[in-house]
Amino acid sequence: MASQSVLLSAPAKPARRGGTRRTSRNQAIWFVLPAILVLVGVYLGPMLYALWASFTGWVLVMPGSENDWVGLANYSEVLQSREFWSAVQVTVIYALFSITFGLTLGTIFALTLNLEFFWKTFFRSVMMIPMVITPSVIGIFWKLLYEQENGVFNHALAAIGLPGIPWLSLNGALPSIIIMDVWQTTPFFMLVILAGLHSIDESLIDAAKVDGTSRWQMFRHILLPHLLPYMLVAASFRCIAAMGDFDKIWLLTAGGPGDRTTTMTIFTYKTGFSAFDIGRTAAIAWIFVVIVLLVSAPLLRHLFKTATRDH
Amino acid sequence: MRHRPFAMGKQGSKLALTFLWAAIAWVYLFPYTWMILTGIRQPVDTLSMRFLFVPTLDGFRAIFRDIGFQNYLLNSAIVSVFSTLVVIAVASPAAYALTQLRMRGQVFLASILVARMVPGIAILIPVYLAASSAGLLDTRATLILIYTAFNLPFAIWLLRGFFAEVPAEVREAAIIDGCTEFQVFWRMMLPLLSGGLVATGVFVFIAAWNEFLFALALTQSHAATAPLSIIGFRNEYGVQWGAIGAAALMISTPVVVFAVVMQRYLVRGLTMGSVKG
Repeated sequence: MASQSVLLSAPAKPARRGGTRRTSRNQAIWFVLPAILVLVGVYLGPMLYALWASFTGWVLVMPGSENDWVGLANYSEVLQSREFWSAVQVTVIYALFSITFGLTLGTIFALTLNLEFFWKTFFRSVMMIPMVITPSVIGIFWKLLYEQENGVFNHALAAIGLPGIPWLSLNGALPSIIIMDVWQTTPFFMLVILAGLHSIDESLIDAAKVDGTSRWQMFRHILLPHLLPYMLVAASFRCIAAMGDFDKIWLLTAGGPGDRTTTMTIFTYKTGFSAFDIGRTAAIAWIFVVIVLLVSAPLLRHLFKTATRDH
Repeated sequence: MRHRPFAMGKQGSKLALTFLWAAIAWVYLFPYTWMILTGIRQPVDTLSMRFLFVPTLDGFRAIFRDIGFQNYLLNSAIVSVFSTLVVIAVASPAAYALTQLRMRGQVFLASILVARMVPGIAILIPVYLAASSAGLLDTRATLILIYTAFNLPFAIWLLRGFFAEVPAEVREAAIIDGCTEFQVFWRMMLPLLSGGLVATGVFVFIAAWNEFLFALALTQSHAATAPLSIIGFRNEYGVQWGAIGAAALMISTPVVVFAVVMQRYLVRGLTMGSVKG
């Protein structure tokens, strides 16, 4: 639109304009070259290196083992192991529940924060805090809250005469890391939904009010359809991030007890840095990458389409 | 009659909502408040519900004297500031090319998006091996390079959104006036986009300051960043909550203050980066 108006107002210079375009394409490469170098060096290079390593029987403590070509043995071994599927299951439960609760709470918070009341700016500022606190610090502090004997939660429960809850036990640990994650990520959902609410056409709301639409109908037929794309994008982003979460889970439970909170990321880390079985770890990492890319495919497609549509 | 509660309750519902939000804010502040309290209370009071106490600085003394916390802080500051600057320096020309130069960058754009989704753990082992064989373990430069790469896809994406908002006439007029492509970028675009650059910088700084996994795997004692300092207080003698509280307070305060002060940019970046495309 904008460039069209330039063409219309200055019809005398079409050739010149074409000229600047061509040179600009040749120069564009110099503007993106540094970025390409960094991405190839730190992403593509290491990933290809890992791909090669995943076909070998390389164990760091066994010199020469990097030359043992084992084909797909690492992959089939990983895909047949109980630990791998347990990690997949933990990751799915963790991501699914924390996103469901985070999104629901975030939407409720955003809808109420959009109404009229006092100190709204202050409350919004407060919500920024959990979102940005260093995740490793979050992990260690939730440990102080969750501890069985001397934890803050159980201490508070005892103070009002209730029995303590085994927060980090075999069956409690996964729900506990989900609660911690919901606490940390609700503000993200809230802010995205708030942005969605601010972008809504006010006249639509006013018209609905004139028509005597009830609050529920307003939410169901006007707000929800408008907010749905925001919710989907936020949930997809959070899903991908949740699959990669490491710090706060590592410091709270280190994947335990047993492997009850061992997510894909923690499983990969443990395999890599305890046994130094490079071939196997590289295979796990690549399977993980494929899973993440499959999950993020709809989001990737959506982002790519919106980005190329502008031009 | 039917409308009366509603009419009467205008102030009432405002008050009710304020109380509801005070409760929500309390829940969301509670773990953070407890952390601050643990850092400045006597160890025996860690679980105490009495909030009248004489503050102690023992925790802070412990971290600065026993583990040299100032080195961790210095490393964190250097690594975060430099990776933020490098990311901006590398990402902004790329974003300029992608939007203003009408580069046919579909492949590049797609690679950025994919790189953004790839979990860090996937490249941890090869990066570790490479750094180890090049003798670059435990150096700040390695961390700066890694953090730059991590934040680059997101930064280019975010800046692309900001650059796309600048009308094409701005550049075209300048080119016709005889400016080179670099001059347009440096003298016109960057000042015009200072808000977008700050928004991007805020995100990168927070991400770099908070990063834990790569710092854990790639550093030992020389280049260790602040988030790592916290591990040291859990040993066979038990958990030193006072010191952990003090360290946690020192580590999280910079990002919390930064986020609250830069709130406007943070929200803008979040909207631009996730929703606007």
